[in-house]
Amino acid sequence: MTWHSLFDLSTMEHRHLLFAYAAVLVIQGGYFGWIAWNWSHSKGTRH
Amino acid sequence: MEQRTHTLRSVAWLWFGISVAVLVVGFRQALFLTPTDAAQGDVGRIFYYHVPIAMLSLLFPYLNFAGSLAYLYWRRRDPLKALTADAFAVASAEVAVVYSTIVLLTGMLWGRAAWGIWWAWDARLTSMLLLWLLYVSYLVLRRFSSTGQSHTLAAVLSVFAAVDVPIVYMSIRWWRTQHPAPVFGGGPNSGMDKSMLPAFFWNLAGWAIWGVLILAFRFALERRRQIADQEAALQAIEASLEIPQ
Repeated sequence: MTWHSLFDLSTMEHRHLLFAYAAVLVIQGGYFGWIAWNWSHSKGTRH
Repeated sequence: MEQRTHTLRSVAWLWFGISVAVLVVGFRQALFLTPTDAAQGDVGRIFYYHVPIAMLSLLFPYLNFAGSLAYLYWRRRDPLKALTADAFAVASAEVAVVYSTIVLLTGMLWGRAAWGIWWAWDARLTSMLLLWLLYVSYLVLRRFSSTGQSHTLAAVLSVFAAVDVPIVYMSIRWWRTQHPAPVFGGGPNSGMDKSMLPAFFWNLAGWAIWGVLILAFRFALERRRQIADQEAALQAIEASLEIPQ
């Protein structure tokens, strides 16, 4: 398989493969980003 | 204190770098280096994300269970320790929801392409959906309950939710299901071809290291919130005790 065939959306199997990998990366990255955003907008201890 | 913070930050960045590097190797192995499955075609490559993440999705509920039990034990004996246990419980519940959401989504995408259907109400899929609902309920209860006992109620719910984990695990052994048979420990015909092993284990390692990272990061965030709340409460008490001159 190549990068070109990964983004070949002409068949259902290739579309679903791309959607599955993209969903995993978006969900994991999104959750990490949400934690990082909250971390950067929260105050540390005063010590 | 300053030195400890600096060390923890360095370890976190190192851990982040290692997890991304292992995940990049796993991604490359799964999509570009492993031969295409003769029976399933390229859609079979979903397996390399679906199965490792499914295995890990059954571990985080047990961490939540351990944190909840510790909270229930310490809540009257040592409230500060109970708060730490509670932070660990909520962090592991969120990571469990993230991982089980991915399992359900990738499974449905594979099922539609391989079986021709998005969903089947068989024992594995239904028990996994139930697990996801239980941990979403846990988080919703914590977020919206206004009884003042929400952390205790959530901890009790967590103890019951953990019962579903062995049911999910054993469902494809106890019942004949639409879901494929177990890859490991499923009898003489189980296991996978040698050519699939590197992609599988790189992704298992990658998502495990990543899971530890987001669990630790979320735990640190919750602890920071708890300490900020304690400081705010302390300041309010101090202010109320000040006698006007």
